[in-house]
Amino acid sequence: MKKGLFGSVMTSVLAASMLAGCSSAAAPAATAAAASVDSKSASEYDTCTIRFDWWGGDTRHAATQKAVDAFMKKYPGITVEVNFGAWTDWETARALEYQSGTGSDLTQINYSWISDYDADGNTFLDLNTESSIIDLTQYDSTLLKTCEDSKGQLAGIPLAVTGRTFYWNKTTFTKAGISTPTSLDELLAAGKTFKEKLGDDYYPLELGEYDRMLLVSFYLQAQTGEPIIDASGKLTVTQDQLKDGLDFIQKLEDNHVIPTLATIAGDGNVTLNENPKFIDGHYAGVFEWDSAPAKYIKNLGEGQELVVGGELKGLGDKATGVSDKVSMLFAITKTSEHPHEAAMLLNYLVNDEEGVTILGSERGIPSSKAAYDILDKAGKIDKTVAAAHKAVMDADPMSFSPLFDNAKLKGTSAAYTTIFDAVSYGKQSTEEGAKALYQAYMEVCKN
Amino acid sequence: MSKFKKFAKNNIGFFFCLPWLIGFLVFKLYPFCSSLFYSFTDYNLFKGMTQFTLKNYINVFANDTERTALLVTFKYAFMTVPLKLVFALFIAYILNFKIKGVNFFRTAYYIPSILGGSVAIAVLWKALFKDDGVIHTLFALFGASSPSFLSDPGWALFIICLLRVWQFGSAMVIFLAALKGVPNDLYEAASIDGAGKWKQFFSITVPLITPVIFYNLVTQLVQAFQEFNGPFIITQGGPLNSTTLMSLLIYNNAFKIYDMGKASAQAWVLFVILMIFTLIAFWSQKHWVYYQDEGR
Amino acid sequence: MTTAVKTISDSQKKIRNRRIRSTVIRYVVLILVGIIMIYPLIWMIGATFKTNSEIFTSLNPFPSNPTLQGYIDAMANYGGKINIWLAMLNTYKFVIPEVIFTLISCTLTAYGFSRFEFKGRNIMFTLMLAMLFLPQVVLNVPQYMMYQKWGWVGSELYLPLWVPSMFATESYFVFMLVQFLRNIPRDLDEAAKIDGCNAMQILIKIIVPMLMPAIVSCALFKFMWSSNNFMGPLLYVNKPAYYPATIFVKLSMDSDAGFNWNRILAISLISILPNITVFFLAQNQFVDGISAGGVKG
Repeated sequence: MKKGLFGSVMTSVLAASMLAGCSSAAAPAATAAAASVDSKSASEYDTCTIRFDWWGGDTRHAATQKAVDAFMKKYPGITVEVNFGAWTDWETARALEYQSGTGSDLTQINYSWISDYDADGNTFLDLNTESSIIDLTQYDSTLLKTCEDSKGQLAGIPLAVTGRTFYWNKTTFTKAGISTPTSLDELLAAGKTFKEKLGDDYYPLELGEYDRMLLVSFYLQAQTGEPIIDASGKLTVTQDQLKDGLDFIQKLEDNHVIPTLATIAGDGNVTLNENPKFIDGHYAGVFEWDSAPAKYIKNLGEGQELVVGGELKGLGDKATGVSDKVSMLFAITKTSEHPHEAAMLLNYLVNDEEGVTILGSERGIPSSKAAYDILDKAGKIDKTVAAAHKAVMDADPMSFSPLFDNAKLKGTSAAYTTIFDAVSYGKQSTEEGAKALYQAYMEVCKN
Repeated sequence: MSKFKKFAKNNIGFFFCLPWLIGFLVFKLYPFCSSLFYSFTDYNLFKGMTQFTLKNYINVFANDTERTALLVTFKYAFMTVPLKLVFALFIAYILNFKIKGVNFFRTAYYIPSILGGSVAIAVLWKALFKDDGVIHTLFALFGASSPSFLSDPGWALFIICLLRVWQFGSAMVIFLAALKGVPNDLYEAASIDGAGKWKQFFSITVPLITPVIFYNLVTQLVQAFQEFNGPFIITQGGPLNSTTLMSLLIYNNAFKIYDMGKASAQAWVLFVILMIFTLIAFWSQKHWVYYQDEGR
Repeated sequence: MTTAVKTISDSQKKIRNRRIRSTVIRYVVLILVGIIMIYPLIWMIGATFKTNSEIFTSLNPFPSNPTLQGYIDAMANYGGKINIWLAMLNTYKFVIPEVIFTLISCTLTAYGFSRFEFKGRNIMFTLMLAMLFLPQVVLNVPQYMMYQKWGWVGSELYLPLWVPSMFATESYFVFMLVQFLRNIPRDLDEAAKIDGCNAMQILIKIIVPMLMPAIVSCALFKFMWSSNNFMGPLLYVNKPAYYPATIFVKLSMDSDAGFNWNRILAISLISILPNITVFFLAQNQFVDGISAGGVKG
């Protein structure tokens, strides 16, 4: 190692950079605006520029931009700079922004982002302080409670509540001569009928790895009467119960209700709505969020019809097992310099008649009572989505914990994928799978 | 002042490398040192760090998933690098001759590299290798049955390797540039002496371009160990983690779980492995690489 | 004067036939392999004219009911903020500076490393190579923190994307140029030095012309890699009007809402056309012509 000027320069730069890295490795910068209650009314505001970001598809981008333009017209002086994109990798960029304190004033967040990025309550503003601007009375108070962070602050305004339900390809079921299933028993019977009447490559339902875990959670919740992860983050089921759930999925496979994960991979590793076997009716059932039937209906082949099936009865005797969650929220970052104006934009988009009408049901069926009434009267709520949503709500759903979607559990190479693959491919028994699943949960849950 | 002038005269090269040095100190040093630092901690981007630990490094070898990923990465690199180099050199050599339409051929062979990580490749590769896809149909035409590439853990890595080897265009272009530096009169003299094309290739071409072969060997090895796109978009690391390369785990840890400690340790293990391979390669140079500027 | 030979001897005929046969075989092999190489591009072009269901269900690269809807949708302009042409222009706003700066800084650095001995050269060379070994992924977060401290995040001049290229941060190219440089004999350098050229003049007048194929390769690769850069713009560009093509392609790929692949593929196709064109045009660098003879002894 050459000593001398060069060497000493290098060592000191090295040392300096490590120390610099050390300090920024600490908790995220929280140059918080005053957390006192905002008492200005909606008619007094500063001339300023605020940033607003969201993710979505084309129609949502178009509608939101239109709403933002209308807002700027209504309140001249406030300039809104927008940022939007598709969901893929959106979270990465936003997470870094939240961490470094440069997030947008108003931001659209996913349900799990509160526990992931606002664990200490320093990232998102407590919206109770903006209650004079944002009409919180339009929301169910128990719903608002689920949007609180660990310090009891209201981290975001829920935009919509969503849950999973079943949709069936009526055409295929008619071809098999049976009606679409409404209970677990009927579904099991349908598996047999499909195999006999239609052939080996017809299945009444298709479930990927995450879908399977969700259905297992429904199944277990129906038997225990409690959400699988409770509100405090504890896992409420035992390893044996998880094994029971995995056996349940195995039963579905064995009874020709669902194709094996190997079959689905062989189909081309595509999402169900892009799978040719779904498009031409071979896979006749979908387990999907109530807000998302559109992409299936759009892709379905000629002459096929997808109908809302509602929940499956008979998963257990203590409850229906169905759970729902807040699909997305609007939050204001704590580092925002104009929380008042950001709150005005927020309220405009979720409660104001003009904003709500322009946005329509682009973010699902609104949780705000006012918004719902406005859209309902204008007939702007999609019929299929409304029917699916009703099916979910009628089943008296429990609340979904954001920990269920934790990155260690859900995602590429994460626990759900690895474990359900191993069991379906026969590499692990349901016993071993349950053990691995339980261990994975223990890493994430607060037990 | 004259001391500086003396220094400058004896070390002109240093001033040519000055841009690099500035760039290194300003843009690279801090991120590198940060990640090395994190690797010895349990630093989570949103939860901070609580302790120093060697656990991350130990887990790369002790944890089943991580160890398997390391093995798969080795397998992947050693399957693709030799094949890619051979194809690239072979095709570059052929395309160096005067062939009608050589420009079109060269562009055609480079197209796969241009398509690169495009979304189209993902869709296409899956469509080619799925159970009733193009490849399966081709096999059926010849009366054979093809394995289920996308669902058979024994075959999935194969199609990822195929994707990489198919994209040999960039290595080919570099070889083309190198071949241009081989003077034509050498070939002419050899022809007159009666040497055939193959003898010319091995006796003239190869020795003269060993520096570039060396470059491609090292860089292809480095890129193979860091490959991410292919397995991510086509098989998502499956089935049964048979295509989970180390880079997928690093990506997950860095951008989804935000466990920077773990991600950094995994990355630095790759760093050490590549460092070792490169050192070996550099040491081996004296046996097979000839540089024309040193008269070795 | 010799008289023209009217008949060709048998052995000469055999040689000619063998040559014709080997030429034919050569072309057949080249064309067959070529088809395998460009099949995906053909498929992609065909797919831009197909509907979603046809893309997923049919194996035929050619559409049965061609539709222009993909291209029509590709022209969408997201409320007037960004469209495909603006996106591509944005891409080149930072790609072209990147390429130019990379070529200059990497050539200077490679020259320094390969032609000179100086204090610390080996350490610096090792460090330069070592930069290659660490996956970029783990550097993204610290780099983001660094750029954010400097206020470069969200820069409308795309600062984090091209400023580093002024400082030879692309080790792949420095290494490549070093290898090519070391293959250029020093005779001409010496001759020029005797003629009174200084180091910079030797570089510009002697080295660079002989290094041209390698430099052009670097330019091509940098052009391609930079125009395909997704992570960089994702983290550092946060205004839609400044989105480059890589981000623009993914704008409408929302899996919740479902999307049309013909449109995505149309946008992808349009955005790689410049890459193909640039490569095709750069071909004359690889054809016999400039400095093909190398150094005559």
